[in-house]
Amino acid sequence: MLELRNLTKYYGDFLAVDNISLTIADGEFATLLGPSGCGKSTTLHMVAGLLEPTEGSILINGKDVTAKPPNERNIGMVFQNTALFPHMTVRENIAYGLRMRDAPKSEIQTRIDELLNMVEMSDHGDHKPGELSGGQKQRIAIARAIAFEPELLLLDEPLTGLDRVLRESMRREIERIQNDVGVTTLYVTHDQKEALSMSDNVIVMNNGVKQQEGEPKDIYTNPQQQFVAEFIGKSTILSGEVMEGDGMQIQTSIGEIEAADSQVEEVGNNVNVYLRPEHVQIESERNGHINEFEGKIIDIENLGEHAEVHIRLPSGTIMIAKMDGFPSVDVGMSVYVSFEPSEVIAL
Amino acid sequence: MKIRQIHVPSTLERAVSPRLLALLGCCILAVFYIFPIAMLAIESLAFGSGDMFQVYKTALQQIYLTIILNSFLYGAITTVVSLVLAYILSYYIVFISNKQKLLLGLVIIPLWVAYVVRYIGFQILFIGPIKTVFGTDFGILYSTSGVVLGLTSVLLPFAVLPIYNALNGIDDEHIQASRMLGATSLTTVRTVILPLSMSGIVAAAIIVFILASGSFLAASILGGPGQTMIANMISQAFLELYNIKLASALAAIYTTILLALLLVFNYFVKLEEVFSQL
Repeated sequence: MLELRNLTKYYGDFLAVDNISLTIADGEFATLLGPSGCGKSTTLHMVAGLLEPTEGSILINGKDVTAKPPNERNIGMVFQNTALFPHMTVRENIAYGLRMRDAPKSEIQTRIDELLNMVEMSDHGDHKPGELSGGQKQRIAIARAIAFEPELLLLDEPLTGLDRVLRESMRREIERIQNDVGVTTLYVTHDQKEALSMSDNVIVMNNGVKQQEGEPKDIYTNPQQQFVAEFIGKSTILSGEVMEGDGMQIQTSIGEIEAADSQVEEVGNNVNVYLRPEHVQIESERNGHINEFEGKIIDIENLGEHAEVHIRLPSGTIMIAKMDGFPSVDVGMSVYVSFEPSEVIAL
Repeated sequence: MKIRQIHVPSTLERAVSPRLLALLGCCILAVFYIFPIAMLAIESLAFGSGDMFQVYKTALQQIYLTIILNSFLYGAITTVVSLVLAYILSYYIVFISNKQKLLLGLVIIPLWVAYVVRYIGFQILFIGPIKTVFGTDFGILYSTSGVVLGLTSVLLPFAVLPIYNALNGIDDEHIQASRMLGATSLTTVRTVILPLSMSGIVAAAIIVFILASGSFLAASILGGPGQTMIANMISQAFLELYNIKLASALAAIYTTILLALLLVFNYFVKLEEVFSQL
């Protein structure tokens, strides 16, 4: 279990991490997600012991490690550029952590074989890192980080340098290994796909502040902060004002929108309305839905399994809708867009 | 076309082919380097007499061999001392100090001062202030330790630069990774930093060893009669004994041994790789 209590880091006058507290349960896969410069890497480096926090404390399995040097924290870390030792073979790299712990030689060799097997790299034990591809290096880096059975595994944007196809297969790979090993994991990324697809829990950060914490589904469907709604997923964003009425009525540039009344905002408040593309329906005729607006298709972006259709409403607002496959609509077509009140995110 | 990140204008590219550039380089080497050495080798041979290698019999006498051996010995000691000092200094500059540029500047500045001035300065330091304050020069002047100290102080920048370069090139993440895996900072120096800076150490060693063992000024200014080095011997044979053949033979012997040493060294450490990493 990892616990951060009021962790704060100043670089001179610059507040990089602002009073972060969070708890990651045993065996949990948690992700710090945010744009570059949001303080996620700084937080990770403080947990690792590579940076000293200005304030706050770090507890691993109940023990306060804030004052301990990195070599006494028993944490495995996977670096962005793998940081494999270029002068050592793959086996020597994996053995490093075990050697530092004075593990018996025969035990080290058995463990290396086991790990090479786990990351499906058994044939590459005697190679130098320079002879491996990007994906292979990252597998070895993971094997090295978990070799000594650390209490915590940290991953610092490990997939950033890889190409798209490799990134996707490595996501599965990391998830599988984490599951098999069951080590408590803190993953740092700016890539929402990685965060949403791999994590048990996502912590969204911006400007050094924790914005929201929750399961991937929760973060995506129920953002609590404007930043979270804008950073994760794509949306049509409308600014509006909460009106008097049954349930929740919001006056926006495209007209009055009805939202589910679970979203409590006071009358007169200015809010942002976020509409996810997959929640926007397109129909060729008026059907009398609750939030229904007329518009004209101005652009269709075919992406294979789905297409993004851009619709301009009379107010000039451009709404994005997602349609399956290659939709049979054309640019210039007049259509009606609609969305369920329950799908409206108003913040 | 780009050569080492420098853009080459197409007009220049057409006018100057790589082959032409290589030829130019080879010509300069041939005229100013290979040709004089060849002349030297030819000069040392006694054509037309009964024994072509006559003068080598003289040059290979005990007295000259001792001097050659001494030269390499001084070179070796200077190299070891310089490497240790340069490594500590470079380590401090790269990993501890936050005034990298300033310190590196201070290391380089002495190179602007002529060797002879620096050796004489070293001499004056011991004759003057040190003798006045301590009443003794600690037996340093006109002794082996004086020569080695002088060589070390003068050649230190040549050791610092490649080592600094190698240490500076080490990715911080490698050091961090070592710490995360459980190594103390001291262990990290031994298992990660030292091996990753080996190219700098080897380059520094070779440069300092060659410069030190062939030094002329250190022995003549800071050494006594017992510290004569090969360069002094060659100069003496040439300028005082007017024995060009002997001087040439000594130079040829010295150069051959030096090359042989480098070849042996190259067998253990691939120099090509080392210098390509600089």
